[in-house]
Amino acid sequence: MRARVLLILAGVVLLAALPLVATSYYLYLVELAMINVIVAVGLNLLSGNCGQISLCNASFMGIGAYCTALCTTHFGLSTLIALPASVVVSALLGAALGYPARRLSGLYLALTTLGFLELVGIVIEEFPEYTGGIRGLKVAKPDIFGLSLQSNAALYFFVFVLTIAAVVVGANVQRSRYGRAFDAVRQSPFAAQALGIPVARVKVIAFSLNAAFAGFAGGLLSSVVGFIDPPEFGILTSIQHITFIVVGGLGSITGSIVGAVALTALPEALRGVQEYAELIYGLILLGTLLFLPKGLVGLAARLELLRPARPLTEPPAKPTAKEPVYGAP
Amino acid sequence: MFGKGLRGVFCAAAVLGAFFGASFGTFSTQARADEPGVTPDSITIGAFGPITGPAAYIGLAGRDGANLAIKEINAAGGINSRKLSMVFEDDGHSPTKALAAVKKLIDQDHVFMIFCVAGSNGTLGTIDFVRENGRVMYVSFASAPGVTWPFARNLFRGGTTEVPRYGELYAEYLHEYLKATKIAILNGREEYPKNEGDALTAQLKNWYQTAPVKRAEFNIGDKDFTPQLLEIQGADPQVIAIFGNPAEAAIAMRQAKELGMNQQFFLGTTMVDQSLLNVAKQAAEGASGFALLPLLPSSSNPEMKAWVAKWKQEYPNLPAGRPNVFDVLSYSDMYAVADAIKRAGKDLTTDRLIDALEATHEYRAGAIASPLTFTKKHHIGNLRLQAMQVKNGEWEPVAFEGKRESDILKRYQ
Amino acid sequence: MTWRIILQLALSGLSIGSIYALVGLALVLPFKASGIVNFAQGEIVTFGAYLALILSGLGLPYLAVVPLVLVGAAMFGMATERLLIRPIANQPEFTLVIVTFAIGFIIKAAIRLHWQDNTFSIDAPFVGPPLVLGALRLNPAYLVFILGTVVVVAALFLFFGYSKFGKAMRATALDPIAAKLMGIRIGSVFSAAWALSTMLGAFVGLLLAPVIGINPEIGHLILKGLVAAVIGGFSSLGGAVVGGLLLGLLETYAGAFFGATFKNLVPFGVLILLLLLRPQGLAGASSVRRV
Repeated sequence: MRARVLLILAGVVLLAALPLVATSYYLYLVELAMINVIVAVGLNLLSGNCGQISLCNASFMGIGAYCTALCTTHFGLSTLIALPASVVVSALLGAALGYPARRLSGLYLALTTLGFLELVGIVIEEFPEYTGGIRGLKVAKPDIFGLSLQSNAALYFFVFVLTIAAVVVGANVQRSRYGRAFDAVRQSPFAAQALGIPVARVKVIAFSLNAAFAGFAGGLLSSVVGFIDPPEFGILTSIQHITFIVVGGLGSITGSIVGAVALTALPEALRGVQEYAELIYGLILLGTLLFLPKGLVGLAARLELLRPARPLTEPPAKPTAKEPVYGAP
Repeated sequence: MFGKGLRGVFCAAAVLGAFFGASFGTFSTQARADEPGVTPDSITIGAFGPITGPAAYIGLAGRDGANLAIKEINAAGGINSRKLSMVFEDDGHSPTKALAAVKKLIDQDHVFMIFCVAGSNGTLGTIDFVRENGRVMYVSFASAPGVTWPFARNLFRGGTTEVPRYGELYAEYLHEYLKATKIAILNGREEYPKNEGDALTAQLKNWYQTAPVKRAEFNIGDKDFTPQLLEIQGADPQVIAIFGNPAEAAIAMRQAKELGMNQQFFLGTTMVDQSLLNVAKQAAEGASGFALLPLLPSSSNPEMKAWVAKWKQEYPNLPAGRPNVFDVLSYSDMYAVADAIKRAGKDLTTDRLIDALEATHEYRAGAIASPLTFTKKHHIGNLRLQAMQVKNGEWEPVAFEGKRESDILKRYQ
Repeated sequence: MTWRIILQLALSGLSIGSIYALVGLALVLPFKASGIVNFAQGEIVTFGAYLALILSGLGLPYLAVVPLVLVGAAMFGMATERLLIRPIANQPEFTLVIVTFAIGFIIKAAIRLHWQDNTFSIDAPFVGPPLVLGALRLNPAYLVFILGTVVVVAALFLFFGYSKFGKAMRATALDPIAAKLMGIRIGSVFSAAWALSTMLGAFVGLLLAPVIGINPEIGHLILKGLVAAVIGGFSSLGGAVVGGLLLGLLETYAGAFFGATFKNLVPFGVLILLLLLRPQGLAGASSVRRV
């Protein structure tokens, strides 16, 4: 326990000191990684803890991004108003999706979220006067209390502090009775219902929370990059988000952080192989999925490098057989 | 248990330490020269564009064309006895990744200038950063007006022209040369085709006070255009303008012919290419459009044939479809940049390069390139596109020159 | 709207719907057998088209290319199932979803590296001038799409209804443990389901290649196949076929009456409405658990 706290403190201090030594390129990469950490934490709550598969996480990120962009650029509001507004809008839309979809699971839920993703993409493209459509949208630099965050360090600290806040919130949710309800719903909706947990409502809350985190991250993304376009929030991005938590470790905050950081760094590290980067990324991903089924955190646990704070999401117990038993209820 | 925890702490500390060491390293290893990227015997140019994903044909061609030019220039002795070298980064056609690429090129690799062979969205993602940073960025392909307006001293656009200019030339060609008053537009719902369609519509209104008789859209990836074509057929146009990708345009033209529509087709710039003829075959006969370059790589012009032969010698293993127009465009633009660097003199600085570029007047790297002119007032290098028509299964140039004065330059007076 | 236009649209709607139907079938098969949706199916179509390109380039005529591509695709499907899917069959759903996406991603990246983004074309005997029937123009390729789907559906019907292995596959889909107890080698059944599915996907690629050209992005139509399968409830092969044809018609008429935006909205609007209101599709058995 002590070691874990020391570790986290050390990490925070080192990251806080980064602007002293790093170039704007590295600061930018760490900012992107932090934004992805927020995304991963939110997605892990929905998918890792609550067990609901979502292919539209990128849409909520996009909704947050466009919302922030519209607030700051179109309406001239401060980022301090735009970001919470984006979170609220995303959360509401998350609930709006979660509510009718509360009775679905597995494939049908996945396809519903896919349909939602495509619809959001179409809506973004249909209103170019507001969203810039396919040509993309320029976003004003974030401004707080009238001060524009021009310097690299100021923007970095802004993102850094907000990321820590998001991670803390995520960890607290996980430990709260909501987090336990999520786990119960994932393990057995019937048992949860029998225990008095309102399964449908819990699912809606999970969707809403996930959308809030994703929307928050999207708002930060539009502030950090300064230019957004619809392909940034398409199916490939959604899949990328799922890889963060699958490769990191389902159901674990540490897993979200590790997965997001590793898979944000990987494409940048692959710059050297030029056009082969996509193929190699796919192969590395496939290899990790085949050989590290519990993700990187699971690997660390197996190598006894760390004891996870809570058990990782286990696949449901299957009867042992020489051949795999597909399609069991 | 304490032992296990400590092992974890050491591992994580090692990772973080390595991360920091890397940052420290990158900060201190680059000894800052007076002008970044310039040493007594070399000039480093940074370049970025999409070399992965659906837009890879742009970035790969941009990289390869520029590299060919650099190789030739170095073989001829370099520029003012300095050799050129290029560092290329992928932007995956994403503004987020493009910004990462440019930050890396400027902050890590300390390049002298940026040669941009990215699409419009990728380029726009980097504009603010480059504006503030002050390095010269020379944009070869992106047609978004944001590159040259609002005016910035360090941003230049080379061989490709801006979107509104497409509209001007298309409108003038259709209205005055083809004498068509009833025009139907069929465009894909993607950035570039939509821009072309909008620009044409806007210019028909501005200059000739007419409007297209029908405008239909299709989705990229559509395989069937019957609904849109029937709609267009009902409006009875004289010319059907199609803006999209060669694959879709080919299907649309064939389907139109099958439906008995015999109007002339007018195609957007990405379709004025050999790949369209490969798929559309007979249906494309008589179609016209504007090309980004005076000559297409498939042209039988001897200078172009010689150029393609030397390109193929440098890149023998590339598939059909290469070299494409972007190879030629990037090659020509790199020569234009090199020419300006040369005129900037041995004492090379960003300011001197900007002055040299602004003094560029009708420079062209041979018949394969458009002449480029920059001034102190505007950095739009080229306002020409070459009209072409499909005759006997080949794209042949048409003797049409836009005579009306462009409205674009009026902004810069 | 004249009769001519309505009929013309019906023809193109049915033919594009046949393509969707085939892709839908290819998606439902491994789902019925092993509960997995193969999100790489779009890239299987692309793979089939490029395999046809390679074989055509060797000088083989189209009719010789067809069986070779189908065999190649079947082998690819079996290998994928054996080496990549079976080892992780017990993992959570997310992992399986991502794995199939990753496979598709790798296929597309590899194709793009080698052939880049040029659009190629191959010749086929059914590409030619349109047949004229009164005021209608019938593209022979469109007729082949429809006929091809009919043939495939008939073949599958016969296979599942009357052949021993087909019945074994149906038994495994119903209850794998009981099937094992009856002596059915369910491992072979899973491999066969995947092989059939990749064959179907490659068949679509074969049909499309001479008509719309070959480029790395043709796999995008997996989305339409998914909608077709959902219309059929994702549990019925016949439903997937009907779903595909319906989707093709809906899309085409919506596009004609309301424009391209609607044409885009139709598949996803239909998808969401069906999933929310009637996830078992128009034909399938109820599989919604009320919570």
